[in-house]
Amino acid sequence: MNNTVIDAHNLTRIYDENTIPVYALNSVHLHITKGEFTAIKGPSGSGKTTLLNMLGGLDEPTEGYVNINGTNITQLKGNKLIDFRLNNIGFVFQSYNLIPVLTAQENIEFIMLLQKRPKAEREQRVTELLKEVGLIEKAGKRPGELSGGQQQRVAVARALAPKPQFILADEPTANLDSVSAGNLLDIMAKLNREEKMTFIFSTHDQRVIDRARRVITLEDGKIVSDTTPAPLVHTNS
Amino acid sequence: MLLKIAWRNIWRNKKRSIIIITAVMTGLSAGVFLIAFYNGMIEQRVNTAIQSEISHLQVHHPDFTKDYDINFSLQNGAAILQQVQSNPAVKATTGRIIIKGMIASAAGSSGITINAVIPEQEEAVTHLPGKLISGDYFGAGNKNELLLSQKLLSKLKLKRTKKAILTFQDKDGNITSAAFRIIGIYKTLNTPYDETNVFVKIQDIDSLAGLDSQYNEIAILLHSNKMLKETQSAISLAFPGSTIQPWTEISPEIGLTVSVSEQMVLIFMGIILLALAFGIINTMMMAVLERTREIGMLLALGMDKAKIFRMILMETVLLVAAGCPGGLAIAFIAIAITKRTGISFKKFEEVYASFGYSDVIYPSLDSRQLGLIMLLVVFAAILSALFPALRALRLKPVASMRK
Ligand SMILES: Nc1ncnc2c1ncn2[C@@H]1O[C@H](COP(=O)(O)OP(=O)(O)OP(=O)(O)O)[C@@H](O)[C@H]1O
Ligand SMILES: [Mg+2]
Repeated sequence: MNNTVIDAHNLTRIYDENTIPVYALNSVHLHITKGEFTAIKGPSGSGKTTLLNMLGGLDEPTEGYVNINGTNITQLKGNKLIDFRLNNIGFVFQSYNLIPVLTAQENIEFIMLLQKRPKAEREQRVTELLKEVGLIEKAGKRPGELSGGQQQRVAVARALAPKPQFILADEPTANLDSVSAGNLLDIMAKLNREEKMTFIFSTHDQRVIDRARRVITLEDGKIVSDTTPAPLVHTNS
Repeated sequence: MLLKIAWRNIWRNKKRSIIIITAVMTGLSAGVFLIAFYNGMIEQRVNTAIQSEISHLQVHHPDFTKDYDINFSLQNGAAILQQVQSNPAVKATTGRIIIKGMIASAAGSSGITINAVIPEQEEAVTHLPGKLISGDYFGAGNKNELLLSQKLLSKLKLKRTKKAILTFQDKDGNITSAAFRIIGIYKTLNTPYDETNVFVKIQDIDSLAGLDSQYNEIAILLHSNKMLKETQSAISLAFPGSTIQPWTEISPEIGLTVSVSEQMVLIFMGIILLALAFGIINTMMMAVLERTREIGMLLALGMDKAKIFRMILMETVLLVAAGCPGGLAIAFIAIAITKRTGISFKKFEEVYASFGYSDVIYPSLDSRQLGLIMLLVVFAAILSALFPALRALRLKPVASMRK
């Protein structure tokens, strides 16, 4: 139990309650332990984004709660919730991840600035992270000057910067070609392996699903399967 | 870093930002310059009025202004005149008799105000000879000389050197008439005044009206308007039986013009700034809407709303601030140049004159007005920054990112 990072209980999210209710999530129970590398799959509209938003405290469930490391985030409000997100959860979105007017380096530093980390620590960590995602030579480039894959790698580095409990990634590879997608997955897998960083990502992509060590399948807002395939040996395919 | 982001955000849409900065620059420079121009016009009008029409102060019998009766003359006019002349603040002073009357020729007649003046002193107070456009000023020995305007001359179908008949009530209420020879044509900047005022020598009227060196008006020109209040109270203290009025009261419309001009400046600048503010609000709203996803992302990451608010606020204020120095510089240069050269409206001379304004305007701006303008600019900037920033506050992280 001590290794529990996320404990989601009876999560239900209903849209358009007043007209025709849509059950985007329907009584979902989910337990994530430290160091997981979990994929959430399912057809379009099955509730993947909704689930990730609930886990990340970006949206409130209609019913149920989300407990992160002992904190019930469903009860956090306003700036407390924002602060909690800032210090505990890393986000990688499908697109519009980075601040376009800041360089790669500044984008990563920005989040630590919000956390009020001292300058020396910020600079050291930014360099470290950029090396980790293999983009140290692109430090001074703005997102517009980077490829889609490079942008997503910066986003991963940024998500990692505040040393969060876990990283949520909603279809991080959806806009990437397969080589870039593979690179991104390599980096995520490496961080998972070497730093025990917990990753939860949603995806449609079978090759991404193949890399996961736990696969949760959603359909119509319900978990229809939750499997742990044999850990895949990392290959360079 | 927030400031850095705000500053860089401004340059994301260069064209749009340059348009706004240019608009701020143009609006501000045009506004400030027009205010200075307006000031110049008012100053000119006031100076002209004081220097050549009404003087700083006028002394009358308390009932004179109610009813221009010849009998409401000053009891101790000569004494007042003497006392006033010895006051160091006084530059020049003169006594007059003002009567309502009529001027007539074979071709017609017209109701007028007869200004009976002491020629030398009148020259010192209102520069009357300087207003002559043809003919001569009053001579020493000749009797019954008359100065009138070209307008009136044409109306009566008369020529210079011809005679006109002046008719008025004498001090016993009898109608008196006398023929006066037109010796000069005058012209002031005030056309309506010109049409209804004629000048004669005071001794001619004295003998016709049966008065004995009396005045019903004493006009006082001061060295400076700053001495107005003091001099006024000094004289009224010495002569409690007469009414002494400053120019703001004698010519309430000019006094009003000055006090209204203050408000006009504010209203005028307010309108310009409001228009600018609307443009800025509109543009920044667009900028916020365009960046809905980005702002949603920032919110999701953990940038709190206060910071988002500050960022948008800063962007707007920076935009406005970027236009201000340029706008002010343009206005100041324009004012500095035109202050020396003046702006001439020779073509519209007639129009200006009909309202009593000169056709050459010297723009000017005082520091208090500048302070007011700056205050308004700051107010407008904050106002226009507030709305887009508030709009950004209403965004929710998830909903914004779905769009
Ligand atoms: N803000 C919203 N308002 C109304 N309905 C919504 C909203 N967000 C999601 N839904 C509905 O909830 C359901 C689940 O949506 P969700 O975005 O979670 O699916 P998804 O699995 O992420 O789909 P995709 O693979 O297309 O991203 C869908 O039927 C969707 O139409
Ligand atoms: Mg989705």
